[in-house]
Amino acid sequence: MRDVAIIGAGMIPFGRRDEDTLMDMLSYASLKALDDAGLGDKSVDAVYVANMGGGMLQHQSAIASSLVDRLSLLPAAAETIENGPASGASAVKNGLLAIASGYYDTILVVGGEKMREVTGWRATDFVATMTHPQAEYPYGITLPGMAGMFTRLYMEKYGVTREHLLAISLKNQEMGTLNPYAHVEMALDRGGIYDSPHAIVNNPVSADPLHLYDLCPVSDGAAALVLCTVEIAKKTGKPYVVIAGFGQATDTHTLAEREDPTDLKAVTLAAQQAFAMAKLKPSDVSVAELHDAFTILEIAESEHVGFFKKGEGGKAAVAGKTRLGGQIPINVSGGLKARGHPVGGTGVAQIVDIVWQLRHELPENRQVKNAEVGLTVNFGGFGNNVLCFILRRVQP
Amino acid sequence: MKKEIAITAYKCKKCGKIHYPFHDRCLDCKGREFEKIKPEGNAKLLTFTTIFNLPWGFDQRYLVIGVVEFENKVKAMGQIKADSVDQLKIGMKVKPTWEPVRVQYGEDVYGLKFEPMK
Repeated sequence: MRDVAIIGAGMIPFGRRDEDTLMDMLSYASLKALDDAGLGDKSVDAVYVANMGGGMLQHQSAIASSLVDRLSLLPAAAETIENGPASGASAVKNGLLAIASGYYDTILVVGGEKMREVTGWRATDFVATMTHPQAEYPYGITLPGMAGMFTRLYMEKYGVTREHLLAISLKNQEMGTLNPYAHVEMALDRGGIYDSPHAIVNNPVSADPLHLYDLCPVSDGAAALVLCTVEIAKKTGKPYVVIAGFGQATDTHTLAEREDPTDLKAVTLAAQQAFAMAKLKPSDVSVAELHDAFTILEIAESEHVGFFKKGEGGKAAVAGKTRLGGQIPINVSGGLKARGHPVGGTGVAQIVDIVWQLRHELPENRQVKNAEVGLTVNFGGFGNNVLCFILRRVQP
Repeated sequence: MKKEIAITAYKCKKCGKIHYPFHDRCLDCKGREFEKIKPEGNAKLLTFTTIFNLPWGFDQRYLVIGVVEFENKVKAMGQIKADSVDQLKIGMKVKPTWEPVRVQYGEDVYGLKFEPMK
């Protein structure tokens, strides 16, 4: 197996992008990553496109074939990868394996989604199609609904409180105000959403015990990476990032069939595999991007990957341990909560943010000082398909 | 007319593990032969929520939904007949019924509903 480097990273601002088609967004992000990699007019061997909803929302299929043509990357190999909200990390994994195996040398990975051109009613249904088609979907279950049921159990078992969830909302939306790519650039006021008479109006229940500001927004957006061999990366003469570890695991489709529904086994296993491959441990990680589609997930994932003991993640967030400058800064980008969650794009965007951190090129108010190792968790379904990456900075 | 609960669960003939929905191989022992069983008796509420942002197809303000375990250990999701989660508690007993849970293409779709028991 060859080591694999990342030499290009690009993203377009997430949000509501009425003026752009899905193909526009994928193209813009791709060009940014290709230019960042300094590839000039050179092509790549393959293009992997992560997208979950093109078929359902845009009535478009074979998106990767269309993108290589639009970007004049012909005759590069091209595939679209659909793995629910974990599509992004799945596409990166496929790029990693193809280069590590020795088959390809340079790969463009791009992930994106256009979700705001349909109503919230339709977007909620689109995301709910990943639930079990007979045992869950017909009942009207949604992903926030799954998260609500999970939160109720997590609160009962581990003593997580709304105060803990609030710490995640406040932190991530504050960080979103500093991120020019974030969908939500609005800091929250504690009183406004939690402990004033107006809070229930501003922050109504969405899927109890979760409220509106416990949920990520529905976003348009795209992000891209250029993966290559370490030999190619060395020639750039600039700091680059290597994929030091990777893991992926699955869990039961229905929440009801898990022995302990509060145990996110796929997160634990994916992280363990990634740490074993990287020969690193949780305390070696300088910065992490966790899949906080719901505030509870940042807390639960921070425990399941090993940053904190079970039941300690919420308290750690309240104590500021996960803020910039804290013990382990989590979601300095604002996370899905503020950067947004264009489902197919998220796994790629998380890695783009970590690449920027590890290249030490972010403004001081967002840069984790001397960041050497970064971790990402991309969470598909309700934890039934999870990918974890560990990235390391290399100074040539 | 009272309708019978029309879901089928699957008990592994090799190790006895109960599955719902269907799996081609047992999640524990990989066995491929199953005895078809029906959920029996009342059920225990394992978790629940009220969903206020409903998906396309649900023209209503909110929906109370939960996961239960029947007396013969079949676990399943269903809608809960409650106006508010204030009436609900983890571990409480609920009575299962088989009723329309949504309308698709003008037709009722039947599924599990649970009524909280005093």
